[in-house]
Amino acid sequence: MTAPVTAGLARELAAAVDQLRRVTVQVRTRGAATGAGVLWDGGGSEGRGLVITNAHVVRGDQATIELSDGTGTRARVVARDVKRDLAALEFELCRELVSAVVRDSPPLRVGEVVIAIGHPGGLGGAATLGIVHRVENAGEGRPPRWLRADVRLAPGFSGGPLADTTGRLVGVNTMMQGGLALAIPAVAVEAWVRRSHALVVS
Amino acid sequence: MSAVLQSLSTELADAVESAGRAVVAIHARRRIPASGVHWRPGVVVATHHTISRDENITVTLPDGTTAPASLAGRDPSTDLAVLKLAGQSIPTASLRPDAPPRVGELVIALGRPGPSLTASWGVVSGVDGPWRTWQGGEIDSLLRLDLAIYDGFSGGPLIDAAGRVLGINTSALARGIPVTIPVATVERVVTELLERGTIRRAYLGIGTQPVRVPESLARRLDLKGEVALLIVSLEPGGPADRDGLLLGDVLLELGGAAVSDPVDVLAKLGGDRVGKPLAVRVIRGGQVKTLQVTPGERPMSRAA
Repeated sequence: MTAPVTAGLARELAAAVDQLRRVTVQVRTRGAATGAGVLWDGGGSEGRGLVITNAHVVRGDQATIELSDGTGTRARVVARDVKRDLAALEFELCRELVSAVVRDSPPLRVGEVVIAIGHPGGLGGAATLGIVHRVENAGEGRPPRWLRADVRLAPGFSGGPLADTTGRLVGVNTMMQGGLALAIPAVAVEAWVRRSHALVVS
Repeated sequence: MSAVLQSLSTELADAVESAGRAVVAIHARRRIPASGVHWRPGVVVATHHTISRDENITVTLPDGTTAPASLAGRDPSTDLAVLKLAGQSIPTASLRPDAPPRVGELVIALGRPGPSLTASWGVVSGVDGPWRTWQGGEIDSLLRLDLAIYDGFSGGPLIDAAGRVLGINTSALARGIPVTIPVATVERVVTELLERGTIRRAYLGIGTQPVRVPESLARRLDLKGEVALLIVSLEPGGPADRDGLLLGDVLLELGGAAVSDPVDVLAKLGGDRVGKPLAVRVIRGGQVKTLQVTPGERPMSRAA
């Protein structure tokens, strides 16, 4: 028996995960692995890179981030929003890195396949697969608060990417609730970064 | 590029979208709404346990509008309920009555616990033959699922990758473990509920418990089986009481078939048995005795 579709699926999935791992970092505070982060800007304005993670992942002002190639670097918290559970970390770039690409459109559909990358128990670049569980109707001009996915996350996935099958970022994984993953929609993160980072830079 | 992975994603979203057009939210309890499926024109199937009131039931349609619905009937034994919905033009579900699901088949459970459609995916983890629920309901096949259940899961459809409905999901028939009531069972129950408002079931008015018949007695009476059913409760004035069964009788056979489990008794009490005498063999006072009992119609359970 041959299974060309499943074999192709396995190969493509492995490639998609590989690509996503490159925009996923591990976040450590005080030596302990506390979660994941999304490499938001690896192109570097003035040689600095930007990582987005959950506020609950970085408690202090400092953190160490570990890139997918294993290199570690110190980062400092430049913005934090406890209510939205978001934090922005800045670090010195030694070379240009790939950045996550946000999916602005088309809108997500219920049933679409999504991939989450994280570091459960300090394990590097673990992946889980699921589908979009629910798409909340956006409020007037405002993106919905949560993206719900039928994906099994473990501690260590917090702050990491939730992406579609083309590798574009759709959310930042934040917590599990009632067996479902809750992620902050990528478009909401994008708006937050624009607002809060402008404050920091200026 | 990832052609297969993207096609899979698109096909699943298409299946959800097309099947979701026949999935409604049902407001018939205090907590968050449960789900239902527009099964036949003007007929919505839901689960019995999520409908805690018989009146003031409304449904939210896929387009977000709310419409009143009336309860046509409910069957606690299969956890199904049927609602009537007048004057709506939403599509009915596309069913897959033949080609039973296979173990390992990719499936999606849909729900609508409010205006938005929800989905979880997984695989069929077990397919078995007919089974009987703890309340005596006959289900054509046991479909077990490996997927996440969530609020509003019960009453929603299980669909295949092409968006066709394989049955109605419920978490109330197997101690919280999700199972799917197959299309054939839903069709049968819907037809009967629409005709009569209840599912007719025969009953005897006895409670039984398996007991081992002592070997010496079994030998003396020339019995085939070792286990029989001790009558431990008898409804006063019920069919069995009226026809002369006594507390302490040990039931050997009912309608010509040996009984060794209370389920065997239920199996002889389908709706078509009401009013038709059954031969009963019992051990009474150390002797085998044959009697006739005529099952009555089980009163409607009000367990809601």
